[in-house]
Amino acid sequence: MDEGKVSRRDRSLWWIAGVVVIAYALFPVAWIVSVSFKTPSDLGSNRFLPTTWVWENYENILAGGAQDLFLSALRNSVGISLLATFISVVLATFAAYAIARLDFPGKRVILTTALAVAIFPVISIVTPLFNLWRNIGLYDTWPGLIIPYLSLTLPISIWTLSAFFRQIPWELEQAAQVDGATTWQAFRKVIVPLATPGVFTTAILSFFIAWNDFVYGISLTSTEAARPVPAALAFFTGASQFVDPAGAIAAAAVVVTIPVVVLVLLFQRRIVSGLTQGAVKG
Amino acid sequence: MSADTATAGPPPAPAVPKKPPAAMSARRQGWRRRAPLMPALIFTIIATQIPFLVTVWYSLNSWNLVNPGSEHFVGLSNYVDVFTDRVFRQAALNTVVITGGCVLIAMALGIGMALLLDRKFLGQSVVRTLMITPFLVMPVAGALIWQTSMLDPAFGIVNYVIGLVGIDPVNWTSSYPLVSVIGALVWQWTPFMTLLVLAGLQSQGRDVLEAAQVDGAGPTRMFRAITLPHLRRYIELGVLLGAIYVVNTFDQIYILTQGGPGTASTNLPFYIYQRAFLGFDIGQAAAMGVVVVIGTIVVATFALRMLFRTFSEET
Repeated sequence: MDEGKVSRRDRSLWWIAGVVVIAYALFPVAWIVSVSFKTPSDLGSNRFLPTTWVWENYENILAGGAQDLFLSALRNSVGISLLATFISVVLATFAAYAIARLDFPGKRVILTTALAVAIFPVISIVTPLFNLWRNIGLYDTWPGLIIPYLSLTLPISIWTLSAFFRQIPWELEQAAQVDGATTWQAFRKVIVPLATPGVFTTAILSFFIAWNDFVYGISLTSTEAARPVPAALAFFTGASQFVDPAGAIAAAAVVVTIPVVVLVLLFQRRIVSGLTQGAVKG
Repeated sequence: MSADTATAGPPPAPAVPKKPPAAMSARRQGWRRRAPLMPALIFTIIATQIPFLVTVWYSLNSWNLVNPGSEHFVGLSNYVDVFTDRVFRQAALNTVVITGGCVLIAMALGIGMALLLDRKFLGQSVVRTLMITPFLVMPVAGALIWQTSMLDPAFGIVNYVIGLVGIDPVNWTSSYPLVSVIGALVWQWTPFMTLLVLAGLQSQGRDVLEAAQVDGAGPTRMFRAITLPHLRRYIELGVLLGAIYVVNTFDQIYILTQGGPGTASTNLPFYIYQRAFLGFDIGQAAAMGVVVVIGTIVVATFALRMLFRTFSEET
């Protein structure tokens, strides 16, 4: 659009709209960051910024009274989500490679199945898992959450990875094979570098799904042994009746949002470098 | 699920790729090619379909965890109970209202935001990254933000803002529970819609727009005649994907309203959870689960068809 033709009135309207939109999206986030630095007595005020900035809330959840609840939950969430992501990306890479690359009947059925499983209402299988896990000893353990998380992350991973893999210039692989590489070598040396951005995107997506899950988190755990962050956050509200938990909740919310933001920033750089690499080689 | 989709959705032919009568070596070759995808596929099916079969079995039994040993086969009576249950019908209606409201409002806002972000301005990339933040906040944390700082009757920002224009404070989560839930959901989902629409806007050919401009089309006309039709696929995709996830909303309702007051904001996932983990009525919860799965399959069949149409148009 030609900037020169936009009148001054139009331009200021765009500016106002932009500011409103940014405020709408960011204000709740900014507010929670600000609350996380407030003292308990400050919580009731409508002032945006704390009167005195304190680390009290962070100390509370990381080293103080709430650390049993929060730190173990953080450990569980990070461990469980990373393991689920790793397993799901490895399995999905093979599956997506087969779907994008090899020719066989029933491909579309598999993709449909993957998508169908992805939209399967989680809530309708929680109860049997709850009973089953209690009988076979998986209740309130890491594998007890990793397995259902894989059923959430695998279909999405297969779906997105096959979309990525379909765009890869596969002639390169044939060229490598003509040069004497085996199928496996061609895959590892030629295709993997090209596929890395897609794999990373998928990994972020998987991590995101596992990290955010709440239904399995509260249904299939009962102690610090496996309870993930979302479930622990929900208990923050119930547990402390006498102290306003808003500060601690805010601090916890900030701490658990940071890894995801960092991951996304990381993944943006990955994607860009992947693209430029492809451009240089192509 | 594969069998279910096949029965509900006509397009894909037989579910499991059964061996067609072919030459032995070709068949073995075929299976060798399929081998890489087997672990993922088999695992996914086992991890979701066996529990679902168990759910179906539970739904045919009367079983309350409060009375151990009370389990006995009752046939379809749980289903009769489900369909005569007033709360179930309300929960179904609430699910539709929440999903429809959230997805449509988020999409409308998303289109607006994408149009804003598509323009060139200082700090564009920073603002774009910042705009995604609500989507990156853990849903439970997002719901807690809305509960404690946005909608709180005494200290909430929303009441503070409407107070500036002279409106009395509102106890949002108890007076307008559905509005509160949709508000929190829209906030979380708008960035997702924005990202999709923005991708659509950026894939738009500049030459067409320039040609239209040369021909004297105004910005509004250009948007309606060129941009909107081009964006249709992206909008459809966003609405479908959004709806698929928002239908299963649980976190926001659990945190913000607990389905209340009464059952005013109970949606199906929350009601099922309540029946199973607070009412301990496994049979009933399972029957509702099965009904929800069937409903999802019916709706998703349309969704999938549209998605495939979108994909095939692309290539």
